[in-house]
Amino acid sequence: MRRNRKDLHLEKLKGGLDRSDCEKIDAFFDEVTENIELPILSKSLLIDHFIKGFEFYLEKGRSVEEVCEILDVKNLGSFYMGNNRKNYSLDNAAIIYPLGMKYGQMPMFRLSAELKEEVEPVLLQLALDFTIKRFPCFSAVIKNGFFWHYLESVNSVYLVEEEKDIPCKPISIILRSYRSFRVLYYKKRVSVEFFHVLTDGSGGMTFLKTLIGEYLRLNGKQIPYEEGVLDINEDVKDGELANEFKNAKGDASLSTFVDKKSLQIDGRIMKSHISRIVHYEMDASKLNETAKSYGGTVTAYITALLFLAAKRCISKKEGIFNIQIPVNMRKFNGSNTLRNYSMYFNASEDIADIGDKRKLVQDIDAQIKRKGSEEMMNQMMKTTGKLISSLSYVPLFLKVPIMQNIYGYLGNSIIGLTLSNLGRVKLPETMKDEISKLYFVMPPGKPNRATSTLATVNDICIFSFMRNSNDPSMENILLQLLEEDGLEVFVEGSIEYES
Amino acid sequence: MNPKIIYPIPERLGSFYKTLRNIARILFIAAALICFLVNFLVKGKAWSLIVGWTLFSLWRLIFSLKLVEFSIYSHANKVTFYIVILLILIDHFLSPGWAQTVIPIVLFADLLVMFVIFFAMYDRKDRHLISIVLLGLFNLISIPYSIHSWPIDNWIAFSFQIASMALFIVMLLANRKQLLYEIKARFSTDTK
Repeated sequence: MRRNRKDLHLEKLKGGLDRSDCEKIDAFFDEVTENIELPILSKSLLIDHFIKGFEFYLEKGRSVEEVCEILDVKNLGSFYMGNNRKNYSLDNAAIIYPLGMKYGQMPMFRLSAELKEEVEPVLLQLALDFTIKRFPCFSAVIKNGFFWHYLESVNSVYLVEEEKDIPCKPISIILRSYRSFRVLYYKKRVSVEFFHVLTDGSGGMTFLKTLIGEYLRLNGKQIPYEEGVLDINEDVKDGELANEFKNAKGDASLSTFVDKKSLQIDGRIMKSHISRIVHYEMDASKLNETAKSYGGTVTAYITALLFLAAKRCISKKEGIFNIQIPVNMRKFNGSNTLRNYSMYFNASEDIADIGDKRKLVQDIDAQIKRKGSEEMMNQMMKTTGKLISSLSYVPLFLKVPIMQNIYGYLGNSIIGLTLSNLGRVKLPETMKDEISKLYFVMPPGKPNRATSTLATVNDICIFSFMRNSNDPSMENILLQLLEEDGLEVFVEGSIEYES
Repeated sequence: MNPKIIYPIPERLGSFYKTLRNIARILFIAAALICFLVNFLVKGKAWSLIVGWTLFSLWRLIFSLKLVEFSIYSHANKVTFYIVILLILIDHFLSPGWAQTVIPIVLFADLLVMFVIFFAMYDRKDRHLISIVLLGLFNLISIPYSIHSWPIDNWIAFSFQIASMALFIVMLLANRKQLLYEIKARFSTDTK
């Protein structure tokens, strides 16, 4: 009788073990097999992950009993059992992304955590196999409805990959049509790249923390389920899948959307979606003190530096420069949704008026307080909801070409840059010892030449600057401006992908 | 500035497909323009329309793939649509009188291929029933034309259409629950 690959691997695994251990392994894999109802290829892939996990632990000197306990089949839940299709309508922020998408342009972002030790791919894969069931709207693909796009959950096996390419490369819809995110590892770094329709930075961070928490647990660490690390075996909680935009209060006002066209930073846009990434690593407390000394928050201070640097990188002497600042709406109502729940506003300055740093920081701080207030953000959410409702019965085949043509005007043309601040990311105490840094990468969308992000963990703040143009002057000016204020900056980044 | 490099150096910076797409775009536009110009100058039958449609079809089928929900079923539908239009153009502008027989055969062939793929991959969850429904409706539209010229010239076409309908109904009956679910999802206006 022909033996399949699984049997061959299992026999190899059992080599050298006594009979009772072999029986335990057989019983364990029988149970694993019973808990997977997937097409044959996916099923063997998943079983293979368990076999590799077993090999890994046995090599480390763990007993068969211990391994059976660590890799408990209950971790699979019912996620891999048969056809559990479920639809999710896109939230009001996500609805725009697929409408405006063009070839080679996919709104993506990446969250990465640098661990203290090299990543063990076998364990990361198992961690992903166990974690994904807790995030049902992440295991989904986008589909065309007659009126709107929607998400449909797909219970398939998601694979971790070694990082080899430029970050945030659009996910190939032709070769791998069954995923909207990817998990990557490179040396000590674990990264998750999300298609923005799934979630925003906050929801993405919950996924990353939960994934790493599970990875560390498989690695023998005690990680409690707190500070955004979800229990992978508990049921999805109420509100985690909610489209919170429907709860917006206040009145709608179209003026919240309207803004003047922004100046753009000089430089030719390259073919690649990112031509370079630069991370400025700083002591978060010192950065906070510096920002306070200018009379503003860290966001206001960094935005001011971006305005100052942009002024030196824009050849036009007249016009408005807008920096888009997303606002995490969860801070207003404590929502636990894992889907998109951010709004944004534009910090604006006349290019001719940009000069004194202190005045600039204070002005931006005032703009953040005024434009980023709960009332204004609610107004914007309400307007978004009304606009979407009014388009509800327009067929998708009419919406897509219209949106593809006006997306740039409504969205990216009114901003010159984006600054997204994830803030201080909270971690359980035991996890703090295992994670050294967090990186947040987001490629710029045309016609913008750059985006920037901030993420802080363990008092280390990483200010990241991503550009898609051939002009490196802005990143050099930013470094100069930070150092002028006495901040010690350690610079990391990528090569120049395209010059 | 010399940052510490913490990202892997990509093996291939440019995408071969992207480069090919850019070259194809230029060549296709140039070829279409030359054909229209030559056809206009030498007069005669409007063969340049057929060339133009063929180039446009190739562009749409190879270099302008769907960004959302690309599937073998939806692509097969797209191929069939462009081929049928091409056949109609050839029949109308170059050599008339055969399209009403050939088109139902093409539609039947496509439905048959879909039928085989559909049941061969039955355990997969992404069956894209809507694509099959669209193709079935496409077949349905061509039936009145065949009935109109019945029975003298078109019994072949009519037989294929009946066979297509039979295949279509079998697929629908085999998946009626899933079809209802899919129709509900796809026609939802809910954004909550």
